[in-house]
Amino acid sequence: MKIKRLAVFLGAIGFLLICGPVLAHHGRSNYDVTDTATIKGVVTQFDWVNPHALIYLDVATDDGKTEKWIAETNSPNTLSRQGWSKTTVKVGDQITLVGHRVKGGGTYINFSKISWPDGRVLTPAIQN
Amino acid sequence: MRNIGVGPSLAILAALSFSPVLLAQTAAHPEAKKAQTAVHAPDLTGVWANITENAASFNPKEDPSFQPWAAAKWKANKNDDPGQPSITNGRVDLDPTVASCFPTGMPRLMTEVFPFEIVQLRDRVLILFEKDYAVSHVWTDGRKLPEDPDSTYMGQSVGRWDGDTLVVDTVGLKDITWLDRMGHPHSDALHVTGRFRRLNHDRLQIDWTFDDPKAFTKPWTGRTIYRYHPDWTLEEFISCEDRLLHGGESLEQKAVKGHSQ
Repeated sequence: MKIKRLAVFLGAIGFLLICGPVLAHHGRSNYDVTDTATIKGVVTQFDWVNPHALIYLDVATDDGKTEKWIAETNSPNTLSRQGWSKTTVKVGDQITLVGHRVKGGGTYINFSKISWPDGRVLTPAIQN
Repeated sequence: MRNIGVGPSLAILAALSFSPVLLAQTAAHPEAKKAQTAVHAPDLTGVWANITENAASFNPKEDPSFQPWAAAKWKANKNDDPGQPSITNGRVDLDPTVASCFPTGMPRLMTEVFPFEIVQLRDRVLILFEKDYAVSHVWTDGRKLPEDPDSTYMGQSVGRWDGDTLVVDTVGLKDITWLDRMGHPHSDALHVTGRFRRLNHDRLQIDWTFDDPKAFTKPWTGRTIYRYHPDWTLEEFISCEDRLLHGGESLEQKAVKGHSQ
């Protein structure tokens, strides 16, 4: 258990370290950085565009409705250096995203962690 | 016998490694005599990424001392959002690059998070930037800075070798840009001096001086550090592609306004 707790702790530290760089390009004032949001959904579109790659996804709500979300992350240039490509995220993928939601309750998130049901996890960050 | 050959071999290797540089020094423009005093120009070639601790700025040794108009502009540009770290980008809504899609320009490009590549040619040093795909031409052929330059985003640059240091002077910069990501203002009278020095194989250090009597009461200095990435190639980064694709406003902006979905 101690090892597991340590792993969770180190993971949390790692995530905190990543949060800043992901938002480094355009500042963080549009985002609620005081809260970390987790959303699960199905990818409907993946745009490999500047200045941020965008994932469009359908998110099922507790009352059985579907919300349309957009998730942004780093730019294609920085993602390419981390092994991403325009096919890393595919339409139909079930994904879980962790990041910061825009202020005001919009269904838009800047994410710094993406995971798939098969256990694959990617943590995009600007590398320098 | 085997040992005897090592010294000359190393000497030949060293000579070969310097030879393009020597050529560059001797075959330059006839007016270049004064600028070509350095015999062994160091190799700054390669892709470099900003690892300065306060990377949004030039890491000034002391706060710049502003003229009144510039002080007011700095106060407005500076990001005082309590959710932000103290050293960060300036206000997004006032940022000429982020909010209005103006080219980033010099010298701000040197504070960006995306890498640049240095290419040394016979008559100039090129700095190729991933952001905006911009290019700075630093002429090392002995030409002088123009006395009354037109203002451009990248400015006019000349360079000279001072021992192991490339000294780059830049003038002719548009005042619409920010001096750095933090939002320090400047005027079209800004004269930037950057002293590029490769500390070792992996580190490039640049000492900066910003002289702009219209904006600052006295010149101020800073220092930035960059990491060498031999395995990187420049990709492409275009700031405003998203809003060009979405009717002039990014999806993030629309979401903040609450009418994107």
